[in-house]
Amino acid sequence: MSNSKNKLIPFLCLLPAALILSIFVIIPIGYSFYLSFFNWNLIAPTKNFVGLQNYYSLFTDPINRKVMVNTIFYVILLVILNFLFPYLISLIVKYFIKKMQGAYKIIFFIPSLFSLVVGAMVFSWVLNPVSGPMAFILRKLGMTLPNWTNSGVLAVVVLCLITSWKVFGYNFILLLTGLGSIPQNIIDAAKVDSIPRWRLIWNIILPLNKGVSIYVLILTIVQGLAYVFTPINVITQGGPYYGSSNILYHTYLDAFVLYKTGNASALAIVTFVIFLFLLFLEVRFVERKEASYE
Amino acid sequence: MSKSKTLGWHLFLIVICLIAVLPVVFMLSNSFKTLRESYHSILQLIPLHPTLSNYKTLMQEVNLFGLIWNTFFMATLVTFGKIFSSMLAASAFQYYDFRWKKTLYFIFVATIFVPFTTIMIPNYLVIAKLNLLNTVVGVVLPQLCDATGIMLFTKALEKIPASLLEVAAIDGIPRWRIFVNLLIPMLRPNIISIGAMFFINSWNEYVWPTLILKDKNSFTLPLALQNYISSEGGTNFPLAMALSSIMIVVPLVIYILFQRFILNSISSTGLK
Repeated sequence: MSNSKNKLIPFLCLLPAALILSIFVIIPIGYSFYLSFFNWNLIAPTKNFVGLQNYYSLFTDPINRKVMVNTIFYVILLVILNFLFPYLISLIVKYFIKKMQGAYKIIFFIPSLFSLVVGAMVFSWVLNPVSGPMAFILRKLGMTLPNWTNSGVLAVVVLCLITSWKVFGYNFILLLTGLGSIPQNIIDAAKVDSIPRWRLIWNIILPLNKGVSIYVLILTIVQGLAYVFTPINVITQGGPYYGSSNILYHTYLDAFVLYKTGNASALAIVTFVIFLFLLFLEVRFVERKEASYE
Repeated sequence: MSKSKTLGWHLFLIVICLIAVLPVVFMLSNSFKTLRESYHSILQLIPLHPTLSNYKTLMQEVNLFGLIWNTFFMATLVTFGKIFSSMLAASAFQYYDFRWKKTLYFIFVATIFVPFTTIMIPNYLVIAKLNLLNTVVGVVLPQLCDATGIMLFTKALEKIPASLLEVAAIDGIPRWRIFVNLLIPMLRPNIISIGAMFFINSWNEYVWPTLILKDKNSFTLPLALQNYISSEGGTNFPLAMALSSIMIVVPLVIYILFQRFILNSISSTGLK
């Protein structure tokens, strides 16, 4: 086979992927960056150059600031619900029981199969303050379910619970697989020395599982913020008064509802920079260990 | 490990199973209740007077088969596009040497981390400029490649012994035949599990179609379901649950058929 043909084949193989990724991912990042320096409404023929004004207003505009604070609240909740909780359960399944591990895996994963629109609908029934089953049970016990859509904080909690319903099984399996890849002889050796189980977990297992757990932690933040978009849009549309909006959802609101393309693009670029930083952490801490969780 | 303690853990885990599954079970149950019955027998799991009225109403109100077809058609196109583009790219990364190979691979895989809101506005503008708003192509086109697939297929190819391919090459078998007759059969379990995940994700896809599809005739199932959910309250839940029940059949069947493949490969993947 001739040399020139040899060079052409990999090029042709990469072409479809490269075309799609550059047209619909890489170039758009640059264009969003460009748009973030203008005031525009997505439709008008002219864009007004405003320099760094859009970035400046991210820190001065009260709504933007509210959205930033909400985003931090979302991240904290997502880490607790979608990372720490499944991690705890995977430790229980791995080290505290012996049977039924396969069955738990199969059942926990079921909600991951369904659309978040379905999840949002079902939970707005389950937690409906008037006609839902939770309100019904609480009423029997002499309590009332608060109208959570009226409170930003409660709405964020419910929206995070909905995503965690979907993501839990998936993250659980990732973390369990990580635990499964820890060499058994290390654990057996510790058992021979009759170290208490919580110390075995804290001092030996958790450090050995660091690669996978950091990977899942970063995934939880990156995907969690994206996932929560759907229940926000279905249930609260960011309300009450931006109380349940976050940086991703507000980008969408600014761009396609309020037609403030400049502010939306600045938010989009800030989100990108945050995710880029998380990618850097992932490469720094996880990629070296990649081969170990198979 | 004492018996009673283990039993306690199992009880705890069973409660979590119930939290995972009960909402869906109640959803199915409510879809066979009238609106009245759903109010008056909230915790009644098996409907006292099962009825198909919600499904009948749905058939009248929406073009159900059109919705199912739109969703299925888009998910199929997206799945095949992603499998095709990622397998080709993965084989280039695995079997050829070229300049900046590592950098290119890193850039490809890094696109997984790009938040969709960062690229949403330019992509919308491109699709609008191409006059593809409200069309299947408009939804499908930006999704024809997924770096997750490239990563997973590259990992899968690494495990196929190089000697096998060398033998085939020495025998003078053309490359495309090696690809079709040797690599594809060997990658079958990966294609099934990755394909199943791409399909389920695309079947459930909501955000991007919401931006592109505004005309009810081009809607997919998730968009139609969203129309039945009112943020001001007053959602007709039995009706919305009937539509949801129809929606979850396809992912459930795929899971039942390929559960082993899906769970085995999940450790190195990303189901969105």
